[in-house]
Amino acid sequence: MNILVFTKRVAATQEEELRIRDEGASVDLSKVPFKINDWDNYSIEEAVRIVEKTGGTVTAISIGDAESDEVLRRAIAMGAKDGFLVNSESVFHDPGVRSRLIQNFIQKENIPFDVIFTGVQSEDDQFGCVGGILGAVLGLPYSSMVIGIDAVEKDHMIIRRELEGGLQERIKITVPCVLSIQSGINEPRYVSIMGIRKASKVERKVFKAADYAAEAGPGIEVVQWAYPEKKGVATMLTGELDVVCGQLLGILKEKGVFQ
Amino acid sequence: MSYALIIAEVRRGVFEERNLDSAGIAALLGKEAVMLLPDGAYQTGNIADTIVKVKVGEEVFLNPLNLKNILEKVFTARGNPDVIIFTHSSFGMESAAYTAGAFGFPVVTDVSGYDKERGVFLKSYYSDKIFGEFKANGGPVVLSVRSGSFKEFAAEKTATRVEEIEGVAPVEGRTFVEYVEEEKADVDITKADFLLSVGRGIGNKDEIPAYEDLAGKLKAVLSGSRPVIDKMWLPKPRQVGTSGKTVKPKVYLAMGISGAFQHIAGMKDSECIIAVNKDTEAPIFQYAHFGIVADIHKVRDKLKEIMG
Repeated sequence: MNILVFTKRVAATQEEELRIRDEGASVDLSKVPFKINDWDNYSIEEAVRIVEKTGGTVTAISIGDAESDEVLRRAIAMGAKDGFLVNSESVFHDPGVRSRLIQNFIQKENIPFDVIFTGVQSEDDQFGCVGGILGAVLGLPYSSMVIGIDAVEKDHMIIRRELEGGLQERIKITVPCVLSIQSGINEPRYVSIMGIRKASKVERKVFKAADYAAEAGPGIEVVQWAYPEKKGVATMLTGELDVVCGQLLGILKEKGVFQ
Repeated sequence: MSYALIIAEVRRGVFEERNLDSAGIAALLGKEAVMLLPDGAYQTGNIADTIVKVKVGEEVFLNPLNLKNILEKVFTARGNPDVIIFTHSSFGMESAAYTAGAFGFPVVTDVSGYDKERGVFLKSYYSDKIFGEFKANGGPVVLSVRSGSFKEFAAEKTATRVEEIEGVAPVEGRTFVEYVEEEKADVDITKADFLLSVGRGIGNKDEIPAYEDLAGKLKAVLSGSRPVIDKMWLPKPRQVGTSGKTVKPKVYLAMGISGAFQHIAGMKDSECIIAVNKDTEAPIFQYAHFGIVADIHKVRDKLKEIMG
């Protein structure tokens, strides 16, 4: 089974203070570290596990700037055979534009595949749309929130989708198809610096995004960026650690959950 | 005819409460609300002007490939809507994207606000640290709306018309097999009065025993947010959030949890929320009653030291 996996290099903003600049026109990411999108890490692992069992290859593809080569090397270190960078210096905020670029790329370059994996969403924009739009424009069956792959056959797969409240649904989906992989589906393997260095020796092909641009312009546009509305109801406990922790225990006592 | 098409989310006979948010944004947009539902006896209330019942079962309706064929019939009969509204859930996220792709419509997901004057939709970026204000170029625009964001705007309609349309033949490319229930839990976190909940901020699995120890000393039950469950540091039945459990303890002590909305939705009704996080910008502080900006391991060790 040949699997295409999309992987994105994203800003790791968990513990970063983000600032908007140019009167709302952009978000300053100049001091923020970048990393592989968490969901894509699970997707690559899942794809590699499948080809380890069924044979075939995993091809990692990244749409992004030159720095995105980093996530391709990482994917190769995990077990992908090839890495393709579709190089673009601009950020696509419209998932429709991104998906149609991928569609054009796959079709023009005639890239063979049985299954396409994307992450459920990317950590930065949280759109969660690229897989679904891609499935629809390629005319292929699609499922998102894939939290388990129970069986892989030549012409179909049995998969589990994550719903709410701990519930899952098992579905049958025909191959070829597009699947968006949910975090937690597996335990991604550890990638060492040595492994990534070794992966650098595998040639990564670079393509120009402009050659595959969608004919239609973006369907949506960002008018401006804004900070969240501050609700600010929390009473902040400040001071020395002893004092703060003492206050915390005091609150627990007052609420009757701790003696 | 100008209208908003609400794609109702139903599951195992239940009309999901978050459909109220879909009705709410339809009202904010000032559109006639037409709600699409599969066959079945659902408690919908009067939140739409028109209900269009499709003669298909729930599992057929909840499949984006079938939904595309259903929507084609609706558009042929009524013309295109101005907006197509989904819940931002497992079903809605999947089907909003597929619908947008199938018809070439613009899409904005996880919409949590709408500025009527400027006609822009608010969408979270970077786990709620920044919001993008989006405008659609043309339409109909497909939206998935964040649970809890618009329900206050849902208006009680005086009368709801009910229409029926014929179903579609289910596609073969994707078919429902069965529901799979969660594994049995050793402890029910929804019954606890006091939850100590840990998140990504704990750093690695080796820290778990020290938090178990703290929970033991505090007589709290240990739970976790999605990243902790994904990494298998705690079992799935201990997950707080939309894909895990919804909890309402007397005290919810969150350590190292930044507060993704899926997590907030699962604990926001707790009587008292205390958040400890070293990131002053963590969204969880917006929902907490008490907050401490500190290294969670230091707070953990100090609490243990004080308790002896």
